[in-house]
Amino acid sequence: MLKIENLSARVAGKDILNGIDLSIDAGEVHAIMGPNGSGKSTLAQVLAGREDYEVTGGRISFDGQDLLAMKPEVRARAGLFLGFQYPVEIPGVNNVYLLKAALNAKRKAANLPEVDAYEFLALIKQKMKFMEMSEGFLTRGVNEGFSGGEKKRNEILQMLVLEPKLAILDETDSGLDIDALKIVAKGVNSLRDAKRAVVLVTHYQRLLDYIVPDRVHVLSGGRILKSGDKSLALELERRGYDWVKESRVA
Amino acid sequence: MSAAPRARLDPPQSAALVAFAAQWRARAVDALYPWREQAMQRFLRLGLPTTGDESWRYTNLRRLAAVDFVAATAPSDEAPPAEPAFSPGVPPAALRIDLVNGYPQLASVPKLPGLTLTSLRELARGNAADLSTRLGAPSDSEQHRWALLNAALFVDGLHLAIDGRLDVPLLLVHRTRGATANTATYPRILIEAARGSRATIIEWHLGAAVATSFCNSATQVSLAQEAHIEHYRIFAAGAAAMNIDSLEIRQAAHSRCKQFTVALGGALLRTNLHAHLDGAAAELESFSLLAGSAARHVDCLNVAAHHAPRTHSHQTARAIAGGTSRVIFNSKVVVDAGAAHAESQQSSRGLLLSPGAEIDTRPQLEIHTDEVKCAHGATTGRLDPNMMFYMLSRGIDRPTAQSLLVYAFLADVLTGMSSSETRTSIEAALIDQLPDSEILREFR
Repeated sequence: MLKIENLSARVAGKDILNGIDLSIDAGEVHAIMGPNGSGKSTLAQVLAGREDYEVTGGRISFDGQDLLAMKPEVRARAGLFLGFQYPVEIPGVNNVYLLKAALNAKRKAANLPEVDAYEFLALIKQKMKFMEMSEGFLTRGVNEGFSGGEKKRNEILQMLVLEPKLAILDETDSGLDIDALKIVAKGVNSLRDAKRAVVLVTHYQRLLDYIVPDRVHVLSGGRILKSGDKSLALELERRGYDWVKESRVA
Repeated sequence: MSAAPRARLDPPQSAALVAFAAQWRARAVDALYPWREQAMQRFLRLGLPTTGDESWRYTNLRRLAAVDFVAATAPSDEAPPAEPAFSPGVPPAALRIDLVNGYPQLASVPKLPGLTLTSLRELARGNAADLSTRLGAPSDSEQHRWALLNAALFVDGLHLAIDGRLDVPLLLVHRTRGATANTATYPRILIEAARGSRATIIEWHLGAAVATSFCNSATQVSLAQEAHIEHYRIFAAGAAAMNIDSLEIRQAAHSRCKQFTVALGGALLRTNLHAHLDGAAAELESFSLLAGSAARHVDCLNVAAHHAPRTHSHQTARAIAGGTSRVIFNSKVVVDAGAAHAESQQSSRGLLLSPGAEIDTRPQLEIHTDEVKCAHGATTGRLDPNMMFYMLSRGIDRPTAQSLLVYAFLADVLTGMSSSETRTSIEAALIDQLPDSEILREFR
């Protein structure tokens, strides 16, 4: 589904990604771990199409299409979703409007009719219930005045409504208490099926207790230093990131 | 009727000033003559403002100065009836009063308990001395020069006496009608709200349908003790219109005034607000929503003067500018020595939508006493790229994202409007002004 070849990118004149190779098939969950500043978030933003991040080399294909040639909104409509590490507050733009506009943009791109307002409200209420969110959310501005945990839950809610083929979740677990973490994991797991893939960007192994990955990759210095199965995450937890860096040098 | 004697003054220099002086000489003497003459003399002495004048730094009146304005005439009885196409969505329950070239059309206006409507011409015929007292002594200040010109040249206008609680908004629709180009009008409104009264008054300036026109309007609002007034002035004139509006508000103790200035149309718009918090614990909330598009020039000056203890003023301005438009927002708070425990807040934010647009905001404070709480903040920028990317990453196209963000930016002013009907009609007119208006309409 997603094939990244020798990807390099720079942000504000600084090289952050230095030759990433990664292949993700439908039905898989991949975890990308790594120390601060290793390039995890940059990779997520580049995949979503952030324009001030300059891709300096490499290729990405998504569902057989050249992802780098697509604008961010086109990527989203094609089924790519980024769950933000820091979801943006947009006061004055209602949560429900945003989500409805997003869903309709996707449906329009797929030549489907726009969703009926009542049907949409029913859908969103059902998903909110699943994510254990209060109804007050419906009348609020996008992420406006939300706590960190509420923002992350809102990201997962958006994901559940938009049903992407590929979800990239950038540190969705950070700042969550254990109950919120379980709810977020429940949301992500509910989307897992043979046609979709999930990329979890995370610092900690904890999330992977609830969302069990098929593959774990360790990113450092803008490169993937090591890949393995779930046991790699446990080993990292035990031995720290330096272990990967050292073993690479050795 | 005889012509007014000529004011003995220096020769006027610009075509507009020559035209204003000629209009003054040609106008019939009426019962307000001495008051008017004083105003005209002061206006001619001040002349047209230049960018050297403190409150005109950002607005060059060259274009206005070059026009040989002709005073509008009274609408004739044979004139076609009010055109059916009134573009903005009028609040349906409002009591509508049309003013054509400043002349109120009162014949068909139904009576409303608590409201007395009288034409200023009629009032002047009755007791001119009383009317000139209510209109106030002509000011010497350069900031009031356009109100002086209005005082000299208005022919008719409307007096609204409010005594009680009006449960429907009053909608004053200002229009200019004239066969000739370069028509100048001088609408004058005097609103007097009695003790404890409540009313919402909307002045909607439609201006002229075609041709260059100049509307020099002046409105005075006085609130007796505990009166609550919500006043709107909405400028939605055609693309060639020039409008200078002077609004003066006087507030007695414990009165509350909410004032909205909404700029949506015209080529050149200058609005002045001079609010005087004369009585203890009087409260003013002023909201300015200034939309610049194409080559429009909007210059908004707000002055809130605290003259009494425990007075509050709160000013919120949101300006957007696209095309090569320029929007200026100057706000000033003056706290007198006698205004202990006064509180004021000024918040102005500008949003630039194109590289050729410009926004200038300038909050000022002048404090002559201790124990006051005054805060101000002013920012101008472009659309937040993080917000934009967030919306794009959800599949929303760029024009929709931009429209939603612009609309959201203006929300602080729109949500301040107490009357949802009024807000809806202003939103409808506003959305027409924004880029991608079709998209926004879907989201309302």
